[in-house]
Amino acid sequence: MKTWKMRRLVAMLLTLLLALSLCSCGGGDQPASGNNDGGGSGNNSNNDNSGNNSGGNNSGNKDIIEFTMFTAMPGSEINDDNEIQQIIAEKIGAKVKETWLTGQTDSEAIGTIIAGGDYPDFINGGEAMKSLYDEGVLVPWDDYLDKYPNLKEMYTDKEWDSFRQDDGKIYWANVFQNTYGENRATTHNDEAFWIQVKVLEWAGYPEIHTLDQYFDVLDRYAAEHPTMENGTPTIPYTMLCEDWRYFCLENAPEFLDGYPNDGSVIVDKENLKIVDYNTTPTAKRYFAKLNEEYQAGNIDIEFATQTYDQYIAKLSTGAVLGMCDQWWDFAYSVNDVFKQQGLDKQGCNYVPLGLTIDEGMENRWHTYADTLNNSSGVAITTSCKDIDAAFQFLNDMLDQEIHDLRFWGVEGVDYNVDENGLYYRTEEQRARCADPSYQASHMCGYSYMPQWLGTSKDGKNAMQPNEQASEFFDDLAEPLLNCFKAYGADSYVDLIGSVVEENAPWFPMYSFSNAMDTTTPGGVAWTKMGEVKHEWLPRVVMDPDFEGTWEQYMEAYNAVNPQAFLDEMQAELERRAAA
Amino acid sequence: MKGKKIKISWKEIKRQKFLMLCTLCFVIYGIIFYYVPLGGWIMAFQNYKAKDGFFGSQFVGLDKFKFLFSDSTFIQVIRNTLAMGVLNLVSTFVMAIVFAILLNEVRNTMGKKLVQTISYLPHFLSWIIVTGILHDALSSTGIVNELLVNAGLLKQPINFFAHKEYFWPIVAFANVWKETGWNAIVYLAAITSIDPSLYEAATIDGAGRWAKIKNITLPGIKPTIMILLIMNIGNVLNAGFEVQYLLGNGLVKSVSDTIDIYTLTWGVGQNDYSLGTAAGIFKSVVAIILIVAANAFAKKTGEETLF
Repeated sequence: MKTWKMRRLVAMLLTLLLALSLCSCGGGDQPASGNNDGGGSGNNSNNDNSGNNSGGNNSGNKDIIEFTMFTAMPGSEINDDNEIQQIIAEKIGAKVKETWLTGQTDSEAIGTIIAGGDYPDFINGGEAMKSLYDEGVLVPWDDYLDKYPNLKEMYTDKEWDSFRQDDGKIYWANVFQNTYGENRATTHNDEAFWIQVKVLEWAGYPEIHTLDQYFDVLDRYAAEHPTMENGTPTIPYTMLCEDWRYFCLENAPEFLDGYPNDGSVIVDKENLKIVDYNTTPTAKRYFAKLNEEYQAGNIDIEFATQTYDQYIAKLSTGAVLGMCDQWWDFAYSVNDVFKQQGLDKQGCNYVPLGLTIDEGMENRWHTYADTLNNSSGVAITTSCKDIDAAFQFLNDMLDQEIHDLRFWGVEGVDYNVDENGLYYRTEEQRARCADPSYQASHMCGYSYMPQWLGTSKDGKNAMQPNEQASEFFDDLAEPLLNCFKAYGADSYVDLIGSVVEENAPWFPMYSFSNAMDTTTPGGVAWTKMGEVKHEWLPRVVMDPDFEGTWEQYMEAYNAVNPQAFLDEMQAELERRAAA
Repeated sequence: MKGKKIKISWKEIKRQKFLMLCTLCFVIYGIIFYYVPLGGWIMAFQNYKAKDGFFGSQFVGLDKFKFLFSDSTFIQVIRNTLAMGVLNLVSTFVMAIVFAILLNEVRNTMGKKLVQTISYLPHFLSWIIVTGILHDALSSTGIVNELLVNAGLLKQPINFFAHKEYFWPIVAFANVWKETGWNAIVYLAAITSIDPSLYEAATIDGAGRWAKIKNITLPGIKPTIMILLIMNIGNVLNAGFEVQYLLGNGLVKSVSDTIDIYTLTWGVGQNDYSLGTAAGIFKSVVAIILIVAANAFAKKTGEETLF
C-alpha cells in the first residue's frame, strides 16, 4: 500500500515537472523575440551589472553606474574590460554598454524591442525614432537641458526647437555634424563617386567631371589590369543596394543634376518646388549608363544581392576601382584594413570626384555647413533608473578631457603632445589605432554619443584626429599624397570642388521623409516607392532591354502614387521655408 | 482503438481522479500558453496602439482585413507562401521516403549507420548557417558556378540570387538538404517494424528487390506516410521565415516574401500590430482548413487519420 502511494506521488511529481518544463519551453518560444539579440541582451547585462556594482567594485571608492545603449546601426562591440572605457568610467562615474544592430533593419529591431518592452537606458532608433516616441517610452529633455551646459551648447535654441515633436517637447538630439569653433573639415564626409588613387595615377591625373569620363577611366584601367598584383580579379565598379543603404544606387541623379543632398527629393530653389529625382531625364541617363556598363561586364554581377558586410569585404580587398557611396559608410573600416594590409601603399585608397551629368555644371556633393538631421539621435528611455545620471553622462561626453580620451586616446600612449601643445601620432601609434583588436581592447569612442567636430576648446587642436591638419597629411599614404599634390588639393574637400554655399533653411529634406510612417497616404507611398525601387532599379541595370525595362519600372513606380509623397514634401518645404 | 463506451459520471470521474489530476496539469498549461494568448487576436479588430492598450484602442471592425485583401503585396505573399510550402512539402516528403527505402536496402550495417548519421546532421544546423553556406556555394565565385563554368555548361558565372525563377528551387533544395536525413528516421523506424517473415516469403516466391519494395515496404509504411502527410499539410503555410528572410533581397522580394515576413515588416517594422495580427489570423484559419480537409480526405479513402 505504501509503495503504491509512493509511486503515485512520484508519478504526480513527474507529470508536474514535465508540464512545467513544457511551460518554460513555451515561454522561450515566442516567435517575435526568437531572432532578436540586440535589445534583449543589452537589458539583461544591465541587470547583471547593477548586481555586480552593489557587490563592490575593485576599481574605485565610488560606485560606477553602468548604463546600456542600443544603436540601430551596425557597429562593433568593444571588450568588457576596455581600457579607455574604464578610465572614463573612473573619471565620470559611469559607463555605457553599447549593443548594435545585427542582421535586421533598424525598424525591425526597434519594433522587436517595443514588442518585448525591454528598453535599454539610451537608445538611438535610426529611422524608427518616431515609433519610440509614439510608444511614449522616451524621456522629454526640456526639464533637464538647462542643467547640463555642455549638452545645451550643442545646438542653438532654434536648432533645439527643430527637434520638438508634435507635443512640443524634445526627446532626442542628433550627435553628429556639430562643429565647435573653427571648421577643420578635411574629409568629404558625404556622398561621391569614389575612385582609387592608383587608377588616377595610371591615367596621369586627368580631370574627371562627368559620369562618362569616370567610367571611361575605370574601364580602361580594368582592361589593362584584369587582376591586382596578388591575383585578385579587378572589379571596375560595384554598388550596394541592401536595405536603406541602396542610396548608393538610387540617389546619384540628384547630385548629377548639381543639387545638394536633400536625400529624398530635389528642391528647385527658384520656384520653391519639390522635384522627384527618380523620373528626371538625368535619372534615365544615369541608369542607362549603368546598364551599358553592366552589359559590357564592367559592373560587379553580385551588386544587386550583396549584403553590406560582403560589400565592405569586397572593398577591403582593394580590387574595387570605384563606387558611389557616403564616406562614413565605408571609409572607416576600409581604410583601416588598407593600412593593415599595406594596400594603401599600392594606391587602393579612394578619393571623391564631384561628377555631374554634363560638363561644366556646378556640383554640390559636399555640404560645407553642419547638416542638422533632426529625425534621429540619442534618446533616454523611461526604463532608465537614474535619468539625471544619464543626462550627466551625455554632458560629460562633451567635456574636453573626456572628448580627447574618446577620439584621441591616452596621452603618451595613443598620441603625443609637441612643444606647441599640438597633438600628433607617431607612425606606430597610427598603425595601432587602426588595428581592430586594439580598438576593441583599448579605444572607446562612444561613437553614437554626443560629439564635436571642429576645433578643440584649447583652440589649437582638432576635436577629432582625422581633422588635425598635420595628422591628416602625415597619415596619408604616398600614392594618396601624390594625388593630392597632382590636383593641388589640401583635403578631400578641395578634391571634390563643390560650390561653397550656406545651407538652405529647409535643408535637409530627408529629415522629414525619414520620419514618415504609414499613417499618411504620403508615408504609404514613400514606403511603396522604396519597395518598387528596390526591386526595379537593379533590374533596370541588369536587363539587356533597357528601354523596355525602364518603361515597366516607370509604370510600377507611378502605380504606387508617388504624387501623394511629393505633395506632403511640398507642404513641409513651404512650412520650413516660411519658418 | 474503439473500446467499450464508458458513460461519464461523477463516479467515474472520482474513480479516475488521479488520472484527471495528471491531465489537469496539461489542460492548465494549454489554457495559459495556447488559449490566453489568443486574446491578442482582438488587436486585429482594433487600431491597436501599445500606448492605449487593449481597452483604449479604437475598434475598427474588419478594416484591417479589408486593407489586407486589397493590398496586392499580401496576395503576392500568400501565393509565395503556398508555392514554397507545397514545393518544400513535396520535395522533402518524397526525398525522405526514397532515402529511407534506399538506406534500408544497404546491407552493410556500418555503412548504413555512417550514412544515416551524416545525413541527419544538417538538421541541427541553424538556418543562418545553412543560408551562409548557400550564399557561398552559389556566389559568382562559389563552387557551383565554378563547376558549371569548368564543365562548359556556362560561359559566365551567374548570380543565382538575382533571378526570380531560381528562388523557389533554391529554398526547396535547402530544405531537402537540411531535413532529408532527419525525416527519414521515422520511415526507417517504420520499416524495421515490418515483419521480416513477409520478406522471406516474398524471396521464396521469387520477388526481387524492386518487387519487395513495391509490395511490402511501401504498403508497410503507408500508415506512417499518411499521418505525417496530414500533419505536414497543416504546416504548409509555415513555408519558412528564416530562409526567405536571409536569402531574399530587393530584387527577388516579390517571390521571396512569405506571410511571416509580411507580418514582421508591417507588425513589427511599421508598428502596425493590428495588421500583423490580421495576417496571422488569416494564416491560422487557412492552416486549420487545410488540416481538416486533408484529414477528411484520408478518412474517405479509408486511410489512417489523425482525428
